[in-house]
Amino acid sequence: MAFITSFISSVMVYTTVYTLASLGILISGRTGVFNVAGEGIMLASASAGFLAAFLSGSWFIGFLAGALMGAFFGLILVFVHETFKVNQFILGICLVIFGSGLSDLIYKLVVGVRLSAPIAPDTPEIIIPLLSKIPVLAGFINQDIIVYFMYGAVIISWWFFYKTKIGLETRAIGENPKAADVVGINVSRRRYLATIIGSSIIGVAGAYLTISITKTYSPDISAGRGFMAIGIAIFASWKPQRAIIGGFIFAFIEVFAFQLQILSDKIPYQFFLMLPFISVLVIMVIYRKHIEFPASVGKPYSRE
Amino acid sequence: MAQKNKYKSLILSNLIIYGAAIILALGVISIFVAVLGYNVLEALRTLLTTSFKSSFGFSETVKKAIPLLFATYAFTIPFMIKFFNIGGWGQMLFGGTMTVVVGLTLGPLGLPSIVMVPLLLLVGIISGGLFALLAGFLKAKYDINPIISTIMLNFTAYQFVNFIATSNIFRDPNEGHPITRRLSESSLMGFFGEIPASIILAVIAIIIVYLIMKKTRLGFEITAVGHNLTASETYGINFSKTIMVAFFIGGALAGLGGSLEMLNIHGKLIEGFAKTSGAQYGVFGILTSLVVAGNPLAVPLAAFFMSVLLVGADSLQRTMQIPVEIVFLSQAVIVMFIVIIRERYGKGIK
Repeated sequence: MAFITSFISSVMVYTTVYTLASLGILISGRTGVFNVAGEGIMLASASAGFLAAFLSGSWFIGFLAGALMGAFFGLILVFVHETFKVNQFILGICLVIFGSGLSDLIYKLVVGVRLSAPIAPDTPEIIIPLLSKIPVLAGFINQDIIVYFMYGAVIISWWFFYKTKIGLETRAIGENPKAADVVGINVSRRRYLATIIGSSIIGVAGAYLTISITKTYSPDISAGRGFMAIGIAIFASWKPQRAIIGGFIFAFIEVFAFQLQILSDKIPYQFFLMLPFISVLVIMVIYRKHIEFPASVGKPYSRE
Repeated sequence: MAQKNKYKSLILSNLIIYGAAIILALGVISIFVAVLGYNVLEALRTLLTTSFKSSFGFSETVKKAIPLLFATYAFTIPFMIKFFNIGGWGQMLFGGTMTVVVGLTLGPLGLPSIVMVPLLLLVGIISGGLFALLAGFLKAKYDINPIISTIMLNFTAYQFVNFIATSNIFRDPNEGHPITRRLSESSLMGFFGEIPASIILAVIAIIIVYLIMKKTRLGFEITAVGHNLTASETYGINFSKTIMVAFFIGGALAGLGGSLEMLNIHGKLIEGFAKTSGAQYGVFGILTSLVVAGNPLAVPLAAFFMSVLLVGADSLQRTMQIPVEIVFLSQAVIVMFIVIIRERYGKGIK
């Protein structure tokens, strides 16, 4: 039992990364902006967030800096796309490259080379009395504050998209921006808001990697998770409540593969490390019939 | 006459775009360099002249330009039908790795160079092509976005490199790092002075890509699908087939690039190659291709110019301690500017 609880506990840590990142992608996707820059945002935010937390000694300022870095990327993406109607995928790819360069650059400039790597301040944990004594369930709730932030973000975005009028309108933009425009919704403003908010959530996911999980910075720390988050957003049909399930599945695969890698010496460990990436493709093939896309995602909109 | 004028304005607007691109490139880099407090003029001089100041600099530039050319083609050809092959990196790694696997396995047979080298290049071409075909197939059959599939395949290929470089069969026991044994002499390609012999294959590839795209039915089909899918389907072009062929060609060229790296530059598979220069070619291949807007005919020159910047960037780091990341991130900014300019002022320029 204790093993299962601790296993779930580490799965939830990575679920938080995947879910927050794919949540950020699907929020802007709902307005038609397909943000493929997640990897670049996570890298830049991981670096910026870590540096801010390390220099200020405050985990909160670290996450704030990560979110702001994300917002900055989102702003570039949506500004260039909305103003010049440049292809979103091309912009996204440029931003991934920009982000991966920026992450190492700012770390080099601020910290440089040191004998011992700097360590981030602790992220507070929330232990709910009584409930945290129940095995298995404890794995879900004996967690740091960002895991709770992820639970909250999923619930709020589900509520927003499916229970509020503005949420319904926002989903309408993703399905048919022209129709939304006709009924008086400011398409461009919604796209700005959704992309900036979404990207800052991706930024939190990036900062979480360095501030809470590894507590230190190393190059290429997100290791493809920002790309896998795109796969999760698609698998989730751009629904927040499904993103957390997708996030859990991939976190499970990742942690499981890691455990197997330690236990098994028959199969080369590289095959376990391939597993999460191959599973993205396999799951997408299996679930393709159940996947829905917002009709306008990835397409520019201009009144003509 | 109208046709002639059209060409004239096409050439002119392309010249303006590329001119603007070069000025922007230098401008953006200068700003970053200045903000960080380095000497801008000296940095620019280092960046642009390192390739031409010494024969070492020039041969380094050619050595980088060749794999970059292939990585750029890998993105460019699927991009002609509006698909993003982010997998040039993985295809290059997979092609190179398979080349080394087959090369080391056949090594003891002692086949002559005239058999070994073409055979191993073919292995690189086919394995790179098949690796990309997987993404084309997933798109054609299951409608999976190639951006996702090629990225996932990249990470898979990276682990494969690691697997081969650390496996007991291929690994060099005398090396501390994961590196395979060296290929036999008859598998390796030579040099003309300091210029690698792989330049011959780069030239052949440039000619073949030109011929395929301009003179064959296949090239016509790819161009037609890229311009107007509905019309080309009415005309009887099989879209699924065209996707798969385009991905195969792109991947085959990347695979050849990886193969040449192994046979001509490294002589063995080095795990670190995947993350350092290999990854650099993958990323810069995409950027270079975006600069030329998926025009395969403009690829060679753009790849060479990009290689000049890469060699210059290394030199900046060595001589002036300017982090190479400055050049990398400037490139991303520059490409964004170029794409904006083209979108805004260059409608219809291909």
